[in-house]
Amino acid sequence: MSKSLLLNINNLKTYFVLAEGVVQAVDGVHLEIGKEEVLGLVGESGCGKSTVALSILRLIRPPGKIVGGEILFEGEDLLRKSEGEMREIRGGKISMVFQNPTSSMNPVYTVGSQIAEAIKLHQDVQKHQIKEKVVEILHKVGIPDPSKRMEDHPHEYSGGMCQRAMTAMALSCNPKLLIADEPTTNLDVTIQAQILDLMRTLRKDFGASILLIGHNLGVIDEFCDKVAVMYAGKVVESSDITTIFKKPKHPYTQALLESIPRLDVEKERLRIIPGTVPRLIDPPAGCRFHPRCEYAMAVCREQEPTLVEIGRGHTVACFLHTSKV
Amino acid sequence: MTSLSDEKSREEAEEVVEPSKATRLSIVWRKLKASKLAVFGFGIIVFMVMVALLAPVIAPYDLRWTGYSSRPPSMEHLFGTDAMGRDMLTLVMYGAQTSLYVGIAAVALEMLIALTIGMISGYFGGIVDEVLMRFTDLILTLPTLPLLLVTVVLFEERSIHILVFVMGIFGWPFMARVVRSEFLTLRETTFVEAARSMGATPWRIILRHILPNILSTIIVIGTMDIPWFIFWEATLTFLGFGDPSAASWGVLLERGYLPARSAWWIITFPGLALFFTSLGFNLFGDGLRDALDVTTRGR
Repeated sequence: MSKSLLLNINNLKTYFVLAEGVVQAVDGVHLEIGKEEVLGLVGESGCGKSTVALSILRLIRPPGKIVGGEILFEGEDLLRKSEGEMREIRGGKISMVFQNPTSSMNPVYTVGSQIAEAIKLHQDVQKHQIKEKVVEILHKVGIPDPSKRMEDHPHEYSGGMCQRAMTAMALSCNPKLLIADEPTTNLDVTIQAQILDLMRTLRKDFGASILLIGHNLGVIDEFCDKVAVMYAGKVVESSDITTIFKKPKHPYTQALLESIPRLDVEKERLRIIPGTVPRLIDPPAGCRFHPRCEYAMAVCREQEPTLVEIGRGHTVACFLHTSKV
Repeated sequence: MTSLSDEKSREEAEEVVEPSKATRLSIVWRKLKASKLAVFGFGIIVFMVMVALLAPVIAPYDLRWTGYSSRPPSMEHLFGTDAMGRDMLTLVMYGAQTSLYVGIAAVALEMLIALTIGMISGYFGGIVDEVLMRFTDLILTLPTLPLLLVTVVLFEERSIHILVFVMGIFGWPFMARVVRSEFLTLRETTFVEAARSMGATPWRIILRHILPNILSTIIVIGTMDIPWFIFWEATLTFLGFGDPSAASWGVLLERGYLPARSAWWIITFPGLALFFTSLGFNLFGDGLRDALDVTTRGR
């Protein structure tokens, strides 16, 4: 790959130790994000996407624990950093936008003061310049009349405006990596488009890499350079955006793509993936997808497939495409 | 982006409907005024505070003045005189000073302890929470009255400050539990997670992000606890464990209950003062709870 890597996650394992057993929410995930690249992370609810995001920032709280792997950010392992060093990175170099814009802001403070706080936390800005900076950044994300609206409390903002403001806060310290955890899920469709439009512009202006988490493949298709598909705590396939939409290899990716409605293909019914996501306390042996897979073979029940590169930057974890040992 | 300018014009249209931006405090005040009971309660509190502050000026007699004993209410003595011939109205006015001091000071001490323990317990959880909450339970299980009496007796001196101190250090468990449960809920919210993701330290999150969100709850509980402490002081004093030199309403009640059958006014007026003060704080606290809710708007 010509671009150098910004984030390289290797064999990340994040488990939740509960009374009933150990939930292997993230179990050996590999991800790579280059500079100024947008990676989409897709999968069903509960497959561990958000846990990956929180693991990167080391925000996993007990009973959760990162038990293994490495997260290389600019070549340094985040898992070896002290809590103090991590605080410098959070919001400074890596920041995050959450999926509930209206509840991501503290209800008792004005929007402006919250963004100002984020700036003060990571940058040496003179007191009188902070207000200008807040106005400037709110203007950039398209808040109308920013010098006035910054005095509003979050409940006076609409959902879309809250998400704009949150994006403004996340970008206020020019992070290298923006993690967007389903940033458009709770917004209506027209606002979704606006937010994505905004992120696209900001990506150009700020030159940040973005990890976009979502289950809406339409959004991913439109916005990302690369996609990684997660299933039950593991990445099952990853490649650049065109390859995965044109030639998906993993049966789960294929099923996922066939389950979205499309206008250009006439079809009687949408594909339904039978069964449900397995409980991650005792995941199925072998390939975790085999109980729901129509191509399941004997080997799938016994051995776990590993990610194998089958094309340029295209990796798949499936015995259909790798030599059976 | 055309959609953006659309939103802009829409926002501008809204601006016309609501021209001036009210500050937080003025919104709270407006909502408080809408509730008649809260205003009534606030009125009582203000009246009592004024009486307490101005007692040396407005009291009809000097505190040491004595005349005929046990006189019923008359034009010279609106509340009558007590067994020692002192003017009851004067005593009740000075009593407001002591009683309000007791209530407010004890609540301040209660808040200090309850917030510290509740915040640490609720935010950090785990073994810290376990230890602090078992300690809280322990104090809650002990019967209040004997506990207070025994502790007061431990002090050689009988002073009103010791009463405040003893009530404060045993009065916090309930508030601490409320603080803890609020912290348990709020530490899981997205905005706390977002603050963490921006690199805020735990103490910053506790003091700047969570605490302001529970301030209204604490203020309401504190307001309603003021009469509670005034009552306890009266109880302790009534049982003879108070500070006999302080002219609190409790002291007046204690002195008045023996002659109550023949001289009803000696016990009635301090009792009424106590009753109305308690009513005032409770009504005001109730109204304050509604008014402090940021998300509902007053008319």
